Amino acid sequence: MSAEALHKTLWQENQALAEECLAHPFVRGLGDGSLDPEAFKHYVAQDAFFLQAFFSAYALGAVRAVEKREVVQRLHRLMRGVLDELKLHEGYAESLAIDLGKVRPHPATRAYTDFLLRTAWTAEVGEIMAAMTPCMRLYAYLGQELALWDHSQNPYREWIDTYSRAEFEALATELESLLDQLAEGTQSVSLAYRYAMRCELDFFSASLA
Amino acid sequence: MKEFTKSRLALGAGELWDLGTRAEFLNAVGDGSLPEDAFNRWLVQDYLFVRGFAGFVSLTVAKTPRPGQSALIAGLSALDDELGWFEAHAQARSLDLGAELHPACQRYLDFLITAGYSEPFQVLLALFYGVEVAYTVAWGRLEVQGPYAEFIERWTHEDFQAYVGVLSRLTDEHPHPRQQAMFNEVMRHEREFWRMTWEG
Repeated sequence: MSAEALHKTLWQENQALAEECLAHPFVRGLGDGSLDPEAFKHYVAQDAFFLQAFFSAYALGAVRAVEKREVVQRLHRLMRGVLDELKLHEGYAESLAIDLGKVRPHPATRAYTDFLLRTAWTAEVGEIMAAMTPCMRLYAYLGQELALWDHSQNPYREWIDTYSRAEFEALATELESLLDQLAEGTQSVSLAYRYAMRCELDFFSASLA
Repeated sequence: MKEFTKSRLALGAGELWDLGTRAEFLNAVGDGSLPEDAFNRWLVQDYLFVRGFAGFVSLTVAKTPRPGQSALIAGLSALDDELGWFEAHAQARSLDLGAELHPACQRYLDFLITAGYSEPFQVLLALFYGVEVAYTVAWGRLEVQGPYAEFIERWTHEDFQAYVGVLSRLTDEHPHPRQQAMFNEVMRHEREFWRMTWEG
């Protein structure tokens, strides 16, 4: 019997959803630069709102793992990663005139943040990692895929650069290794992972609606 | 029922109040034309909802200071009876209560439980009131008759209405600037829940 790492199994089980995200008109539009700037503006605001919840979920995970010092340190590193990621949003907020303090979450955003925070408050730390990993792995995947296209003239190249960077890949890998360390391959862990992937897909659709 | 429709939060919700308390599903319950599978879907999902909702109510009980707390504890106990009642009905109809949560139901519970942890008790009271008042008003628009009379009776019973009245009073005694916006969210989730029972 092969002992495939949990993060790999979960990613493979959800490959079809990842492909659906890559083929999504919103993501294609980012990739070829044809995305409606209004849709992008909506997305940036919603994503910034989402990342605050994502940050909180790491913090709540760290509370849950407080006796494991090394785990807490790694979660803190990931939290710094979120703050760095938010700099991208802050930059866009400035150039696109978005007030990040006044974002009203779209129902799709709300569904995702409510799910994340409920999991973060109520579940074991391994399940929290399972709910959070899709966001990181999917964005690393999308960034790296889109970076293969010629994007030198793409108005969204900063987005593509951020998520295709080695630093972002390292964060995704770090979270996956925490997932492997802290989670078991239980049904609730796979359900959390899959639900988060679905939320990602709905998130892209909401920005086009 | 009129007093509820004229309560501060119901009036403040505007058109969402109607959207959250009227549904094709209920119209069909009222005229006896509801398809069996829709009724069964409602029964299972509502049961799963109440199970999760009891968690939300526990969080609200924990945060609410006395004397309001005692009324809420009574509500928690009533929810427990309600679960037993659902289980008996599900058994009589051979329904599987171990079914998966429908995404609409999951979103509703994720919303409530996250709020249960992160919001102050004043906001939780408004949510609690919202969930219960929506139910009693929605079912209260029907005559207690037809094949589902027992179900209509349950949520229009005067004891239940009196209880919703207590929640309304508690909410008004403990105002908070976020109550209205969060009450409105409950109405949105109610609408989605009813849509799910009807459309699957």
